Parts: sequence; C-alpha cells; structure tokens
Amino acid sequence: MATLSRKLLALAACTTSLFASEALVPVGKIQPQKMSEFGDMMSNTFGSPGERQTAKEPIPSRGVLPNGEVPDSPWYVNRHASTPMSIDELKRGPGDTNPPAATGTWTIVSAKTEGVTPGFVIEDAKGDKYVIKFDPPRHPELASGADVVASKFFHALGYHVPENYVVHFDPSRLAIKKDGIKGLTKKKLKAALDRVRKEKDGSYRALASLYVKGEPVGPFFFHGVRADDPNDKILHEHRRELRGLYLFSAWLNHTDSKSGNTLDVVVEGTGVRHVRHYLIDFGATLGSATHEAKSPRQGHENLIDMKPALVQFFTLGLHVPKWARTELSDSPAVGAFEAEAFDPAHWKPNYPNPAFENRLPDDLKWAARKIATFTDDQIRAIVSTGQYSDPAAADWIVRTLIGRRDKIVRAYGDAVQASTRKE
Amino acid sequence: MRKLLVGLLWPLAAVYSQDNLSLNPVTVLEKSRAPEFTYDEAPTLDRGLRQTRKLPLVSFLNGGYGFRAKLGRPAPTSGFAAGVEYNAGNYTTGQVLFRTSARASTGRYLHADAEVAFPRLAGEKIFANVTAVHRNFPQLRYYGPGAGSRAEGITNFRLEDTRAEATAGVRPLRIVRLGATASYLKINTGPGTSSRYFSIKRIYAPQQATGLDRQTDYAAPGVFAEIDYTDHVGSPRSGGIYYARLTNYVDQQHGAYSFRGLDIDLRQFLPLFHEQRVFALRAHGTFTDTPRGNLVPFYMQPTLGGPETMRAYPAFRFYGNNSMYFNAEYRWKLSTGIEMALFTDAGKVFPNRRQIDLRGLQFCYGAGLRLNYRQGTFMRLDGGCGREGCQVWLRFHENY
Repeated sequence: MATLSRKLLALAACTTSLFASEALVPVGKIQPQKMSEFGDMMSNTFGSPGERQTAKEPIPSRGVLPNGEVPDSPWYVNRHASTPMSIDELKRGPGDTNPPAATGTWTIVSAKTEGVTPGFVIEDAKGDKYVIKFDPPRHPELASGADVVASKFFHALGYHVPENYVVHFDPSRLAIKKDGIKGLTKKKLKAALDRVRKEKDGSYRALASLYVKGEPVGPFFFHGVRADDPNDKILHEHRRELRGLYLFSAWLNHTDSKSGNTLDVVVEGTGVRHVRHYLIDFGATLGSATHEAKSPRQGHENLIDMKPALVQFFTLGLHVPKWARTELSDSPAVGAFEAEAFDPAHWKPNYPNPAFENRLPDDLKWAARKIATFTDDQIRAIVSTGQYSDPAAADWIVRTLIGRRDKIVRAYGDAVQASTRKE
Repeated sequence: MRKLLVGLLWPLAAVYSQDNLSLNPVTVLEKSRAPEFTYDEAPTLDRGLRQTRKLPLVSFLNGGYGFRAKLGRPAPTSGFAAGVEYNAGNYTTGQVLFRTSARASTGRYLHADAEVAFPRLAGEKIFANVTAVHRNFPQLRYYGPGAGSRAEGITNFRLEDTRAEATAGVRPLRIVRLGATASYLKINTGPGTSSRYFSIKRIYAPQQATGLDRQTDYAAPGVFAEIDYTDHVGSPRSGGIYYARLTNYVDQQHGAYSFRGLDIDLRQFLPLFHEQRVFALRAHGTFTDTPRGNLVPFYMQPTLGGPETMRAYPAFRFYGNNSMYFNAEYRWKLSTGIEMALFTDAGKVFPNRRQIDLRGLQFCYGAGLRLNYRQGTFMRLDGGCGREGCQVWLRFHENY
C-alpha cells in the first residue's frame, strides 16, 4: 500500500508542469450576484438544480488535464500536492503578514450585536478592514480555532481563501466610527461584549478575517456559470475542483459548504482583470457550528433527511446510529469532531449541492491524493495555528484529522496507511 | 408532490431558517463584504423564497425586540388566540426588560399582561420584577368537585381576575434562586357564556363549588426557592429543575376563603447518546390547607387535565384542594429540529393533604411530535388516551 501511495505522489509531482492555466480573458463589467440562503437550501434539498448525471450516463469532470489533474485557474491553484509546502508555508497559509494592527484604534464600521455572538467589521490603523467574529460563550476557541485551521488546509489544498487570524485585543481599542452606526451605541457595544467570554486579563479572543482584496461580486453557485464572466466556461457542477471539494469538506467536516460561503471577487492582480473564486467562512468546520458546537448528527445527515428520519420514526429511536454512540471530546474547544463514525463515502453537508452530488470516483481519487500528501507532522503544524490553549484539544483535533485522512486514503487513495508516512 | 412538500414546509422553514441559518450574525457579517447585489440567474423557486423571507408577516411572526405577533391560547379551552407583544430593554443592556402583550381568542377570551424585570442586578446576584395580568375567560370548564366528578357534569363559568405581583430575590449560586413575592389578586366569577354547556350555577350549588355565590380578593405574600441546572432554557436535554413555592392567600373581604398553598415541581432530564434521546421526568404537587373555618374556593383550586398535566383528559377536568401528577417522557430525535415522544401521565386530586399517596391515580398514555428550533420548541403535537377517551393537543412550547 505504501508503495502505491509513493507512486501516486510521484505521479502528482511529475505532472506539475502540466498545471499551466489557460490564458485569461479580461472581463468587463461584472454584475454583482446575490442569493437567498434559505432559497439555496430549499432548492438544493427539494430540487435538482444544474445538470445531473445518472448512474447509466455519468458525466466526467470537464476541463481536466490528461493526467486527471486540474489546471491552475481563478478557481484553483495547485499547491501542496504538486510542490510540497514547508511547515512554515503551510502555517502561513494565504498570508500571515496582515493581522490587524497591534496598536491603535480598531474602528467599527458595521456591527451585528444581536444573536448568540456579536460580530463587527473593523478598520485598523493601517486602513485594512477585517470581520471580527467571536466564539460561542460556552465554547471558547471553538469557532475561531476551526476557522483559522480550516483556512490553512483549504489554502494548501488549492483554494483561494481569506487571511484569517486569531487575535487577542483590549476592548478599549474598539471605537465606533465618527459618523456613527445606526443602532449601535457604546452601551450596546458593551452589552454585546458582555455576552462574549472575556480572558482573565480582560482581553477578548476573536477571529479576524481580512477583507479580500478586489471588487466583491457575490457568491458563486455550485451549478451553472456566470454569464458575464468569459472565463467561466465550465458548468460548475462538472468542475473537478468543486466535485472534489466534497472530500476535502468531508475531511475537515465543513458541513456548511454551500454557495453562501463563497465569494467571487474581481481582481486585476495578474494584469488581467478577472473573477477569482473564494471559499470564505470556515466557522462551521471541524467540531464547530460557528455559533455553537456541532450536533454529532452533522456530517452524517442533511438538515432535512427523510430516510434516517423514517428509520428513527419506525424504530421508536431504538436504532441508535453509530455517530450517536461514538465518543466525543470533553473539550469545549473541540465540539463534535471524530473519526470513528466518519465514513468518507457517506459524509453529508447540511444540504446537498450539485457539484457534490455529481462526484465520481475519479473526482474523489483526485481529492484523496491531495489529502494523502499531508503528513502527521504537517497536520499537527496547521492545527497549531488555531492557538488552542488546551493541548488535549489540539491533540484530539490532530488525531481526528489523521484518522479521517487514513479512512479517506483507504477508501479512495488505492492504498496507503497514511499514518505510517513520515515527513 | 415535491412542490406540495415545498409549499407546506415553506412558511415553517422561513421562520425556522431565520434562527438556524440566516440570522447568524457572523454569516450576515461575512456576507456583508459584498455590496447590495442584484440577482441574475437562479431558479424561480430561489427568487420566490428570497421574497418570502422579506415578507413583513414572516418577520413579524419570527419575533425579536419591538412589536411582534403573540400567538397561542391563553387557556386550553380558549380557541385560537392572537395579539401583539412589545418587547424592549434587555437587548440593549441586559439590565432591564419591559414586555407587554394583549391577545384575544376566538372564544372571546382576553388576556393582557405587562412586566418590568431587572434580571441582572448586582452582577446577576439579585433579580426583581413586577408583573400585572388581567384575564377575562368567559367559558372556563367546571366538572364538579374532586376525583369523582363525571365528564357529563361539564359546565362553564366566567373567571375575570387581575393580579399584580412584585418579586425580588437573590441568586447565591448560578443555579440557585431564592425569593419572595407579594401579590394582590382581584377576582370576579360569573355565568359562563357557552351555548354548548350549562352555566355553572344551573348544575352546582355553592356547597359543591365553594365560593360560587361570593367572590373575594386576595393579598398573597409568598416565598420560593429554585435550583435549575439544566443545560438549555427552552428545551432541556440534561440536568434538573427543582422548585418550591409557599404562598399565603389572605381573604380580603369575607374572612372565609383564606388558605396556604404549597407548589412543588421537580423535573429531571436524563440524556442518552449525545442527547439524541432524553428521558424527561416530572413530579408536580399543589397542596393547600386552610385556617379553621375557611375553605378554598373552586376557582382557586388546582386542576388536572390538559396539555400540561394529564393529556388524555380535557383541560380543567378535575378540581380539588390538592393535586399531584407525574409525567414521564421518552423523547428521541428524528432529524434536525424534529423530535418524537412517548409519554405516560398519572395524577389525581384529593380533598385532604393527608391523602397523599399513589392510590387512585388516573393514567394516560400517548405520543407526540415536536418541531424544535435553537431556542426551544416551536410546536408540540401530543395525543393522549385514558379512561375517558383521547385528546389531541397542539401547543407552541415544550410541556416541561
């Protein structure tokens, strides 16, 4: 098995030169695109948007290189699996040089003070904008840790993601912008922060997500194409990088993998004005559901899932699924994240999407090859960026990721006990 | 079929999703990176659903602070009720809460209340609140006194009362509340307005329905203690709530209807399999005793029957000076937000406190369906069967 894995890695390595992207066509005016989160859930739960394949007539992924790899594009960049990244590069992710300024005022330019946890958009002394998100009160470090860790993994796996940072800040540095924010007063700001867990030294831990550079034009859908983007020629439901995202999401338990957590941005960084496609908001990865710990059900059933519901109905709950019997971590920073009941072939996001539903074995093997390239030490290094104060919490997450990686490799990687591989 | 299913689930999911998907502040913030987009290509369904969520009615039903719809029956026999509630205060500082509501039912029941609460004084060590409630229920059921009353003996009467109550207490530990109350209760009863049932005076004499011929007002000081270590306010999955309250009802007019009331409510929640299954147990007792020469008027007696006590019996089926009942539920989750329950209820009313025992209990059995959201139970449908037949209850909160 190990031999085969090495062959796969060697194959991946020699195909690096084939990742050259197709020349980009400059885009004109891109019409901003909006979606309804509720509508997206309903249409994907009860409908079948996009072009679907059947068992008799499978539709292979399109735009794939002859060796099965995906070329570099505004969607995807071959990174760790093609040219192994160093530990430092993996920990750096999309960037680690732009955290919010350590000194000076953080000016709140918009805010959401209701709900379980508040959130702000701030502008720091450098003029950079960040989304500031807090952990659920009962689960310190849960969402912020998951958001940072998952962003590093998705970056190494080849996706465009924002720079995410764990930050600790003194609340006295927060100020409301000069012309005010409707509905936000100092009193309300204090009340909102009172609902968040304060560190012993009076500071707050939060996630700071740097605004993506460029002109945001809304999320992308997991089906169809953007009509006004001449570079968007392949139906999204047939893109290997979106079909394969299923397995990456399964590994990292990104149950909220949906259009609402994507963002298209018009950029000109390469000299050609084009639309770059981002994955954003990883607060619902690992054992986190952003505002609380995940239910252990998540990842095993869709939010609306008739078959398991009927099983529970007719058995009066006497049938206990494996996920309900699996041991979970006691640490509040971990949430419901485990490898024992994890089944990569049957993992489920909160609701289906067309690209995931169209996945074929070749798409999954492609993704499994990428996942197999992460060694135990590399996984441990990336998890350390979550800055978990409890070593047992970090250790649980590392062991779970390793366990899930091994299951994926056994299922799709043709092979390899990844746990035996060392850097 | 699929479209029908979507149609049926649509309004519910619109409300449900506000809590579970879209109102997540972090998600909203994340999406606020983008400007106000226009819409290009998406299924018609998508556009429709997007519009649905923006409907003022959906927003109004979903609640929050400010004005919102107040749905739900003020009494199990009232018929469908609707009204308006106004909430303010807690959202801004967490120190002061003001709430007032008024609703009317198809059975012409009226219910209005107002509350000012200070839940977090002195670093949450002290709490206080003042409430005022006015009720005008024109068709409350009365079946006669005690456990031996017959279902055929159903009558109705009007209960009109106004209660003002002040409460203050301390929270020495996070899970413990100790407090005292002072209330004044003004009561009027009269003939019921139902055309289906006799008014109470046509069937029962004041000797059977004590206090039927003359009502009184009460001053009612009391004390209470509560231990609550449940994990979730709206729909607990583990922990327990133990509550006791002693109230001295002092007749302000006749000197004939004073009594002391002791309420005890014990609830325990035993989770299994990561809280996917829960055994919910409850024991409740209301016990009274009177000074020599006094009686407990029928409209102040504890009752059994209805969706919160004995689900196979109609509401207010049994009146007595004392009551006790037990509920046991096995709850299991079918899916996210959907839960089933099997339950059994047992209870009785009895005239004298010395008769506290398990003899003569009435039993009922049943099953229920619950739709839950993050804060608790959105809807509960319970069906219970017992000696007198079956009852089905639709409620908008958890039983206990």
